[in-house]
Amino acid sequence: MLDLQPPYGVANHYDELYSADGTPRPHYEKLARTLGRLGRDEILARVADVDTALLQRGVTFTVYADAEGTERVFPFDIIPRILTAEEWARIERGIQQRVRAVNAFIYDVYHSERILREKRVPRELVYSSKNYNREMINVDVPHDVYIHVSGIDLIRDDKGTFMVLEDNCRTPSGISYVLENRDVLKRSFPDLFADYAVCPVDDYPGRLLDVLRYVAPRGSSQPNVVLLTPGIYNSAYFEHTLLARRMGIELVEGRDLIVVDNVVFLKTTRGLERVDVIYRRIDDDYLDPLYFKNDSTLGVTGLMNAYRSGNVTIANAIGTGVGDDKAVYRFVPDMIRFYLDEEPLLDNVPTFDCTDDVQRRHVIGNLDSLVVKNTNASGGYGMLMGPYAPAEERERFKDLIEANPRDFIAQPVIQLSSSPTLVEGGMEGRRVDLRPFALYGRGVDVPAAALTRVALREGSLVVNSSQGGGSKDTWVLQ
Amino acid sequence: MLSRVADSLFWLGRNVERAETIARILDVNYTRAMDLYSQRDGRSEKLWRSVMHCAGFVSDPQPPVTGKSANDVFGFCAFDAENSTSIVSAVRIARANALGVRAEITTEVWELINVLYLYVEEQKLRSVMREGPSKFLRRVRDRAQAFAGVSDATMTHGDGWNFIQVGRYLERAYMTARILDAIDVANEPWHESQRMLEMCCASAPFAHASHQAPDPRDATSFVVLAENFPRSLRFCTREIDEAMHRVSRSPRGTFAIEAERRVGRLRSQLDFGSIEEMLSEGVQTFARGLVREYELLTQDIETTYFPRLPVPA
Repeated sequence: MLDLQPPYGVANHYDELYSADGTPRPHYEKLARTLGRLGRDEILARVADVDTALLQRGVTFTVYADAEGTERVFPFDIIPRILTAEEWARIERGIQQRVRAVNAFIYDVYHSERILREKRVPRELVYSSKNYNREMINVDVPHDVYIHVSGIDLIRDDKGTFMVLEDNCRTPSGISYVLENRDVLKRSFPDLFADYAVCPVDDYPGRLLDVLRYVAPRGSSQPNVVLLTPGIYNSAYFEHTLLARRMGIELVEGRDLIVVDNVVFLKTTRGLERVDVIYRRIDDDYLDPLYFKNDSTLGVTGLMNAYRSGNVTIANAIGTGVGDDKAVYRFVPDMIRFYLDEEPLLDNVPTFDCTDDVQRRHVIGNLDSLVVKNTNASGGYGMLMGPYAPAEERERFKDLIEANPRDFIAQPVIQLSSSPTLVEGGMEGRRVDLRPFALYGRGVDVPAAALTRVALREGSLVVNSSQGGGSKDTWVLQ
Repeated sequence: MLSRVADSLFWLGRNVERAETIARILDVNYTRAMDLYSQRDGRSEKLWRSVMHCAGFVSDPQPPVTGKSANDVFGFCAFDAENSTSIVSAVRIARANALGVRAEITTEVWELINVLYLYVEEQKLRSVMREGPSKFLRRVRDRAQAFAGVSDATMTHGDGWNFIQVGRYLERAYMTARILDAIDVANEPWHESQRMLEMCCASAPFAHASHQAPDPRDATSFVVLAENFPRSLRFCTREIDEAMHRVSRSPRGTFAIEAERRVGRLRSQLDFGSIEEMLSEGVQTFARGLVREYELLTQDIETTYFPRLPVPA
C-alpha cells in the first residue's frame, strides 16, 4: 500500500492535498483513496511503462548547458494536480484581465505612449528594455493584438492565494507537456479518472489555430498559417512538431521561406506558395538578419519589411518582450488600473527595483533572504536563490547588481505550495507552480489546459526543467 | 510540399532501406563464414571483401580480411559511426530526417524509427558478437521492414509518402546492383549464386519460380528481371517510375523532368531487353552501369525537387 497516512510533513506553506489539520481537501479525497488501493508496486510498474512510452514518443527537451545537447525526457509525475472549478474561474478572470492590460501597454508604448507621458511607468525603464523594439513604433498589427499566446506563471502563497510570479509574452512553451501528460495518464492510469469530471485539454491546438486565422492580414479568406521553428536542436522542438501536426499546418524553418517583393513564400516541390500568418517560435533577434542579428541563419531575410508592409502576420508580434521584462512586471497592476479602470484580480509578488538607490541597498544587504532574477533571462537561468546559494555566489551577484542595476530585480522568497508527488519512498510534498496559457484573438481565451511544474528535489523551490523540474497533469474540474 | 521535407522523406526512405540491406548482407555472410566450406582457401577473405564492396568500399591493393579482421569488417559495417553506410549511421541519418519532418509523418512512423534508433544506440559490438549477431540483425531488419508497413498503413499516400517510396526503391535497386557487382560467380557458380540470391533475399522466391538449383545465368536473370519479385531491378525501377509520376502528375510513358526521362529509359530497358543482351559484356560491366544510372537518377531528383538549400551553421 502507498503510505498516505499520516500526511507527509507540511510546514509554513500551503499544500494542495492536505489542509492545515492534516485531513485531505475534499476534491483530493477520491484520488488519495484510488492511489492507496492501487498500491505501491502496481503504481511503480505502471510508472516504468509511462517513462518508456515518453522516451519512445520522443517527448524530450534539450539541455543547453550540456555540451552534447542531450535529449532528455521531461520528468513526469503521475499524481495529478487538481484545481476546483471555483479556483479556476478566479484564475481565468485574473489572467484575462492581466493579458488585456499588458497587450494595451504594448500597443501604447509603440504608439501614443500615454502611460509614459502620464508618468505611470518611467520612460527610461521602457526605452532601456532589451526587448523594446524601435522598429515597431507606429506599426499597426491586425486587431491591435500583440500577445496572441502568453503563459502567466502563478504560485500560491502560504495562505493558498494565487499570485503572479512572472508573465511570458514572447514564445512561452510547455503546452505540449500538458497535452502529452494527459494522454499518457489516461492510458496508464485510467482508474484515476473514474471519480472525476476533468475538463479536456486537447482542444487547445484548435483554439490556437482559430486565433492565428483570425489575425491574418485583411484580404486572405483562407489564410496559409505556418509554424516557424529554429529546428531540431531547439529545446522545444518536440512541442513545435506536436502543435504543427495537431493544427495541420506546415512546420517550417527559416530556410524554407523566402521574401519576394515584401511577400513571404514557402519553397515547395511545386514552386513558391504564399504565407499569411507565421506562428513563430524564434526570438525577435533571430527573425530577420537584415534588422536584427545579422549572423543569424535561423530567420528569413526581408521578413521585417514584409511584416511592416502588412503582408504577413507574425504571432506573437515583434517587440512584445517589453511587456514581460521583469523590471516592467511590477507596473502591471498599475497598467490594469490605467487601461481597464479595474482593480487587479491577481496580485503580484512584491518586487524590489534595483535602479532605486534605497531599494538596491536593501537588496544588497539582504541577499541571503531574497531571490534575484536577471530581467532578460528566463528558464531559471541567471537567477540567485539567496537563502540556498553559497556565499561566493551571493558576492558575485552583488557585483553584478552594482554594475548593471537595470538588469536585476529582487523578490522575497515565496514558499510555493506543495503537491503530493511520487518519490523514492512513497509520496511526499514537492513544490509546484502553475502556468495557464492565454490565447488572444477575438478576446482572451484561457483554455483549461495549464502546466503544473514541480521541483522534484526535496525542499527545492525552483521548478524549471533546466533545474531538475518535472511536470504533472493538471486537472481543472467541471 | 516543402522541398526540405521532400528531401528528408526521400533520405528517410533510403536510409531505413539501407539499414535493412546491410543487416541482411551481414547476416547472410556471417552465417556462411561459419561453414567449413567457406573457411578454406581464402574463401572467407573473398566473402568479407565482397561485403566491403557492397558497403561501398573498394580499396586497391586490397587488405587481407581473415580471422579477427572479419570481426573488424562486421564492426565497420554495423557500428562504425565514421562509415556513413554502417547500420548505426543509416539509422541515425534516418532518425535525424524523421525528426526534421516530425510534423509530416504519423506518430506510428515516428515511434517506429525512434525505437529502432534507441535500440541500435544501446548496442555494443562486443556484446552483440558475444551472443551472436543474428538477434541484433534480425531486430534491425524487423523494424526496418515494419517501417514500410506502418508508413503504408498510417500515412496519407500523397507527395510525402511517394518521396519515401522513391527513396526506398531507389536504394533497394542501387544495393541490388551493388551486390551483383560484388559477387564473382566464375569460380564457384553454385555457392556464389546461392550467396548472391540470399543477399538479395531471393533464395526461396527463386527456387519457387525456377524449380532448380541456382545456375548463375538464371539467378542473375531472376534478380534483374523477375516481374513480381519486390527486389528485382525491374520491379524496383517500375516502382520508382510510378511514384515519380504520382508526384509530377505527368501521364505514364511521358516525362516532365529529367529524372523521369532517366528512370523511364531504364524501365523500358528492363521491361523489354533480354538478359543475354544485358550481360553481353559481363555481369560486372552491366551492374556498374546500373549503379551509375541510379546515382545520376538521385542527382536528377535532387536538382528538380530539392535544390540544395543553405544549411544553418
